[in-house]
Amino acid sequence: MASLEVENVVKRFGPVEALKGINLSADDGEFLVLVGPSGCGKSTLLNMIAGLDSITEGRIIIDGQVVNDVHPKDRDMAMVFQSYALYPNMTVERNISFGMEMRKVPKPERDKAVMEVAKLLQIEGLLKRRPGQLSGGQRQRVAMGRALVRNPKIFLFDEPLSNLDAKLRVEMRTEIKKLHQRLGTTIVYVTHDQIEAMTLATRIAVMQNGELHQFGAPQEIYDRPANTFVAGFMGSPPMNLIPARIGKNGAGVNAEIATADERTLRLQLNGQAASLENRVNSEVLVGLRPEAITDPESRDAGAIIQEVECLVEVTEPTGPDMLAVLRLGGIEAVSRMRSSSRVRPGERAKFAVNMSKAVLFDPETEQRI
Amino acid sequence: MSFHVSRPASGTQTLWRVLLYSILIFFALIYLAPLYVMVITSLKSLDEIRAGNLMLPPLDPNFDAWAKSWSAACVGVECSGISRYFFNSFKMAIPAVAISTFMGAFNGYVLTKWRFKGADIVFALILFGCFIPFQIVLVPMATILGWLGLAQTTPGLILVHVTYGLCFTTLFFRNYYQAFPDELIRAAKLDGAGFFQTFWRVLLPNSLPIVVVTVIWQFTNIWNDFLFGASFASGNAAPMTVALNNVVNTSTSVKEYNVDMASAIYAALPTLIVYVLAGRYFVRGLMAGAVKG
Repeated sequence: MASLEVENVVKRFGPVEALKGINLSADDGEFLVLVGPSGCGKSTLLNMIAGLDSITEGRIIIDGQVVNDVHPKDRDMAMVFQSYALYPNMTVERNISFGMEMRKVPKPERDKAVMEVAKLLQIEGLLKRRPGQLSGGQRQRVAMGRALVRNPKIFLFDEPLSNLDAKLRVEMRTEIKKLHQRLGTTIVYVTHDQIEAMTLATRIAVMQNGELHQFGAPQEIYDRPANTFVAGFMGSPPMNLIPARIGKNGAGVNAEIATADERTLRLQLNGQAASLENRVNSEVLVGLRPEAITDPESRDAGAIIQEVECLVEVTEPTGPDMLAVLRLGGIEAVSRMRSSSRVRPGERAKFAVNMSKAVLFDPETEQRI
Repeated sequence: MSFHVSRPASGTQTLWRVLLYSILIFFALIYLAPLYVMVITSLKSLDEIRAGNLMLPPLDPNFDAWAKSWSAACVGVECSGISRYFFNSFKMAIPAVAISTFMGAFNGYVLTKWRFKGADIVFALILFGCFIPFQIVLVPMATILGWLGLAQTTPGLILVHVTYGLCFTTLFFRNYYQAFPDELIRAAKLDGAGFFQTFWRVLLPNSLPIVVVTVIWQFTNIWNDFLFGASFASGNAAPMTVALNNVVNTSTSVKEYNVDMASAIYAALPTLIVYVLAGRYFVRGLMAGAVKG
C-alpha cells in the first residue's frame, strides 16, 4: 500500500515531447485510471511509474520517496501487461512464482503463496499448464495472479482487458473492482475505454497528446468536463456540444439555439447568470449529456427543467432506452428517452432539458466557462 | 478457409500435369545421380568397378570398402583409416557450433533488448563480417593463431570457426529477438530478474526454432569447411574434409574408388543426419526469424 505522486513529469523521445509536464497523485488505496486515445502517452507514463522508461524531467514519488533512480525491481510494484506477457516456457505455477524465485523466497513459502492466489482467482486447476494451453480469460487471470502474489505496494495495469471479448471484458472488469475492494491496494490502470475508466476509478486522469486535460473523480469528470475534448471523450454517446449565442431578455440570461425549422430556442441559464454577464452576444457551446434531454415524463425531480419542442430526425432503440437524434443549433444532438417513448422520426415532440446539468464551453479556447 | 473448388481436370490440364511431373522427376534424378553412384560404387569391389558399368547396381554388395575406409585407408603416409579424423571433426564442430550459437544468442539479446547507443552500427559492422570471404582472413588469422600458440591444433580451428560464424549467428538471433515481445523482458525486469537471469530463464528457453536453425547452419558450414581445416589444422588435428582429400589424393599403386566413395559418404553423413532430424525446424525457424510477428 502506498501513495503515489507524479510531479511535472516530462518525457522526450529525441525532439518529440511525449509527455508535457504531468501532475497527478493517488492516495493510499486509490484506483487511479489514466484514460485517453491511442498515443496520448498514458502507457509511457505507466512505464515511467514502473521504472521501465526513464524520466526526462520531473519526479515520481512513492510514499514520500523520490524513485526516479530506483530500479524497477526495487520499486515494489507489479504490473499486468496488455499482452499478459506470460513466460511461454513455464507452467502457470512457475509463471506466478517466478518473481518470488528471483527474490530468493524459499520454495515452501512460494508454494503457499501460489496456492493462495490461485484460490483467490480460481485457477487452481490450471497450475500445471503452460500459457499456450490457456484461453484468453485464463491467461488474464494468471497475469493478475503473477502480480497479486508479490503483494506489492502498487499495482499497475496496462490495458489489461483490451485483448478479451466484450462479455469477458465486463466480467473481468467486475473482478478487478472486487479485487481492489478486497485488497485495498493502490492501483494505476491504463485504458482507452472510457466505460472502464468510469466504472473502476476513484480518480480519472484524461490525457491527450501528452497533456493532462482533467484529473478528478469520475462523476466530476462526467458532469463537469474541463474542456470539449473531455466532454467528447467521456460518455457514450458523447456530450452534445450545441453552438449557441448568449442572449439577455426580461427573463434573464439564456442560450439562443437555432433549431431545424429556423426558430430560435431559448434555454435559460439563470443558474450561471453572474458569470455570463460579460459574454452576452458572444458564441458558446452548450454541453448537454444525452440523458439531460429526455421525454418530459422521465425528467429529474428537483432540477431546473425547461421544456422545448423539437423535430426528431432518427430514433435508435438500444433496449434499456431509446436514443433520439434531434437537429439543434446545426448539429445532431442525441437525447436519451425511455424505451417506451412514442416519439417518431420526422415528428415534433416535447423534450425536457435539464438545465442544471448544462455546462458551457468557449468555442475558441474549448475550455469550460 | 479456402474457397478453392476442385473441378474435374480437363484434357489439357492433365497433359500439363504430366509434363510438369516429368520435368520435376527428370531433374530430381539428375540431382540424385551422384549420390546413387557414390553409394553403389562404395558397395562394389575394385574388380567390378574396373569392369565399367558405372550406373549398374553392385553384383555382390558388401561393406568391405567402408570397413577399409574407416580403419585402414591411407591418409597421407599413415594407413590407419579416417576414423581419427572423423572424430577430429566432431571435436572441432561441436564446441565451435555450441560456442558460436551461444555467443550469437547473447549478441542478439544485447542488440535488441538492452539497446545501447550505436547498437545499430555495431550490428551493421558484425553483419559486414558475413560478406568477408574466407581467403581474405587466412593470413591475419594464421598470424593470430601463431601468437596464441594455437596453430595446427583443434582449439585453434575452433577459434577460427567461432570468429567467422559469429556474424551469422548474431544475425539470426538478432532478427529473431527483434520480433520477441518486449513485454516479456519488461515483465522479467519487474519480477526482479537480472541481465543474465532474463537471458537464461526467459529468452533462451523460448528460442528453440532459431537455435535449431543456427545449429544446422553452423554445423553444416563448420563440418564441411575445407579451407580453414587445410590451412590451420593439417596433420594430426586435421578435420574429416582434409582427411578425405588426403585419402583421395594419396597416390599408391591403385586408385580405390570404392574406398574413396565410402569415405566421402562418411564425411557427408553427420550433416545429412542433422538435416533429417531437425530439418522441419529449419524452414519454420527461418520463417520465424524473417517474418515479424
